[in-house]
Amino acid sequence: MNTAPPAGPAEMARSRPPVPRRSMVRIGRWVAVPVRRSSLFAAAVVLVLLGCAAVATLTLGRLGIGLGDLPSALMGEATGKNAFVLNRLRGPRLVVAIATGAAFGLSGALFQSVTRNPLGSPDVIGLSAGAGAGAAAVALFLPGTLPVSVGALLGAVTAMGVVYVSTGTGFRSPGRLVVAGIGVSAMATALTQYVVYAVERDKASALTAYINGSLAARSWDDAATIWTVLLLCVPLAALLARPLGIREMGDDLSTGLGSRPARITTGAVLLSIVLSAGAVSVAGPIAFVSLTAPQIAKRVTRGGGPQLMMSTLLGALLLVVADLAAQQLPLFDNLPVGLYTMAVGGVYLGYLLVREWRRPVV
Amino acid sequence: MTAPTAPARPGPAVRRGPAGLSLAVLVCLALLALALFASVMSGSKQTPAADIWRVITGGGDAYLRTVVESRYPRTVLGVLTGVCLAVAGTLMQGVTRNPLAEPGILGINAGASASVVAATAFLGVSGQRDTVWWALAGALVAGVAVYAIGTAGGGSSPVRLVLAGAVLSAVLAAFIQAVALSRPRVFDTYRYWVVGALGGRGFDAVWSVLPFAVVGLLLALVLAPGLNALAMGDDKAASLGVSPLRIKGAGLLAATLLSAAATAAVGPIAFVGLAVPHLVRTLVGADFRLQIVFSVLVGPSLLLFADVVGRVLLRPEELMVGVVTAFVGAPALLLAVRRMRGAA
Repeated sequence: MNTAPPAGPAEMARSRPPVPRRSMVRIGRWVAVPVRRSSLFAAAVVLVLLGCAAVATLTLGRLGIGLGDLPSALMGEATGKNAFVLNRLRGPRLVVAIATGAAFGLSGALFQSVTRNPLGSPDVIGLSAGAGAGAAAVALFLPGTLPVSVGALLGAVTAMGVVYVSTGTGFRSPGRLVVAGIGVSAMATALTQYVVYAVERDKASALTAYINGSLAARSWDDAATIWTVLLLCVPLAALLARPLGIREMGDDLSTGLGSRPARITTGAVLLSIVLSAGAVSVAGPIAFVSLTAPQIAKRVTRGGGPQLMMSTLLGALLLVVADLAAQQLPLFDNLPVGLYTMAVGGVYLGYLLVREWRRPVV
Repeated sequence: MTAPTAPARPGPAVRRGPAGLSLAVLVCLALLALALFASVMSGSKQTPAADIWRVITGGGDAYLRTVVESRYPRTVLGVLTGVCLAVAGTLMQGVTRNPLAEPGILGINAGASASVVAATAFLGVSGQRDTVWWALAGALVAGVAVYAIGTAGGGSSPVRLVLAGAVLSAVLAAFIQAVALSRPRVFDTYRYWVVGALGGRGFDAVWSVLPFAVVGLLLALVLAPGLNALAMGDDKAASLGVSPLRIKGAGLLAATLLSAAATAAVGPIAFVGLAVPHLVRTLVGADFRLQIVFSVLVGPSLLLFADVVGRVLLRPEELMVGVVTAFVGAPALLLAVRRMRGAA
C-alpha cells in the first residue's frame, strides 16, 4: 500500500523498503491508535463478507426469511413465521456464532503470539478439550449446583496448568507444548467419553453434540454471556496488542524497550483462557477456529505482530460460514458445527505442517 | 519444529547377565500371574481368593464355577490385546526411532475405528469376523498416510510424526462423529465400543482376531535382529546386510496387524503401546529381541491391572479400561515430554 509515485529501478534500489503507511486514529487527547490502511481495507472486506454470510444465514433454506422481508423484519416488524425464525431460531444462533467465533479468533491470536508458533493454539494444546471435560464433569457429577460455564472455565484452567507444569519449560517450547497438549487432551477426552457412556442415550446424544461444538438451539442468554465476555476482553486485548508485537521480537528487546515480557505473557495467556472458556461454555469446544483464524489473518494482512483485530473478525467470519454450512448442506442432517471446523481445520493444519516441513531446515 | 532427526533415546545402558535376565523374567511372570488372578477375581460379585483358587483347580460348586468362568473371556481378551498393543508400540518406536510412537498417538487406531464405523453404517457390516478386515484396511491406510505426512520434505522428528498423527486423528474423529451422530443406531453401538472396554465380549472376539495377532507377533520376533541393526542408523544397517526399507516396511506392517487386531477386538485403546516399551527399556535395555519378549509379558499385566482398577473403583459400575489407560498412560507421555531433549 505504498502510494508514493512510481520510481525507476535505480531509484527503488536506493530508497528504503516500503514502510506501510500508518495513520493515527485519535479518540480524545489520550488515546491514539496507529492503524495501517491496508489492514483497515482488509478488515472492511471481512466485515462485508461477514454481513453477506449473516444475511445468507437468515434467508436461506425452507424456513428462511425472504430477502425482501428481511429489512422490515430486522426493524422489528416481523410477524408470524418470520418473527419466530428471527427471534427464536436463527437470530440468537447467528448472534452467538459471531461472538463465539470472534472470541476463539482473538484467543488463538493471543496464545499464538505468546508461543510464537501456530501450533501453540488453545485447541491444539488441550485448552478446549479441558474446557469440554470440565463442562461434562459438572453436568454429570454436580448437576444443578454449578453452571456449566463455570465447569468449562475450571476445566480450561486445569488443563493449561497441567500443560504448563508438564512441559518443564512453561509455554516456551512449541514441540513440548504440543505433545503435552496431546496428553492432556487424551485424558480430557477419556473423561468426556466416560461421561457420554455413563448417561442415558438422549442426554448422551445432546452431550456429544455439545462436546463437538454446536450452535443449535442457542438462546439470547447464551448470546448475552458470550458478548459480555467478548466486550470485556477486547479492550484489554487492544491494550496488549503493541507490547505483544514487540515481545514477538524477543524478550530481551522487549525488556530493553521498557515493557515487561513476563507480565505481558501472563496477561495474554489469562485473557486467552477466559475468552476460550467463555466461547466453549456457550458453544462447546469448536475445533480449530482459534488455530486457523490468526494464521489466515497473518497471510491476509502480511503484517508482523499478533494481528488481533483481524483474527477476531476472521474468527467470526469462519464460524458463521461454517455454521451456515452446518445448517444448509444436505449431506448430513444438523450436525454440530464443530465437526465441520474440525474436518476443514484439520486438513488446513496438515497443509500448514507439510508446507513448513518442506522448507529447507530452519 | 524442525529439529534434526532425533534418534530414539537409547535405553539406559542396562545389560543384564543370564542371572539378572532370569530374575527379570520371573518377576514379570509373577506379575502376570497376579494380574490374571486379579482379573478373574474382580467383578460385580465379590469372590474371595480361596474360592477362585478352588474353581481354577477344578473344584467349587456349580454356581461359583459359572460366575468365575464368565470372567474368562474378558481375561483372555485382555491378555491378547495387551500383547498386541505392547508389541505394536515397541515395533513402531523401533521402526520410526521415535520414543513417542504408538498406535493411538500416531492415528492407527483412529484409522481402524473410522473404517469400522463407515463399514457398519454404510455397508451394514457386522460381526467380529468381518469388522477385523475393515479395521485392518483402515489401520494400514492411516499408517501410510501418517508416515507420508510426517516425513514430507525429508527427515522426521518425534514431534512431526506425533503431529501428523494428531491431525489425521482429528479429521477422522470428525468423520466418525458425523456418521455416528446422524445414525442413532450406529451411535449407540459406537459409544460403547469407542471407549475401549474388555467387558461384555465373548470368546468369539478372541478367535476372530487371534490369527492376525499371531502373524503379527511372529513377524515381530523375526524382525527383532533387523531392528537392532536399524537402531544404529540406516547406513550402518545397510552395511550390515540389512535392508532398512524392508525392515521398516515389514515392521510397520506387523505393527498395523497387531493394532488392527486389538482395535477390532476391544475398540481403540491408547497409551499401552507407549508406556510398555518405555518400561521394558528401563528393565532390559535396548536389545529388541528382549524388548519384544518382555513386551509380551508386561503388556497384558498393564492392561489387566488397568481393567481391574476400572472394575474396583466404581463397583458395581465399572470404568472402561480405555479410560483407565488414558489416565495411567497420558502422564507417562507427559513425563516423556519433560525428558525430551533439544529444541523439538
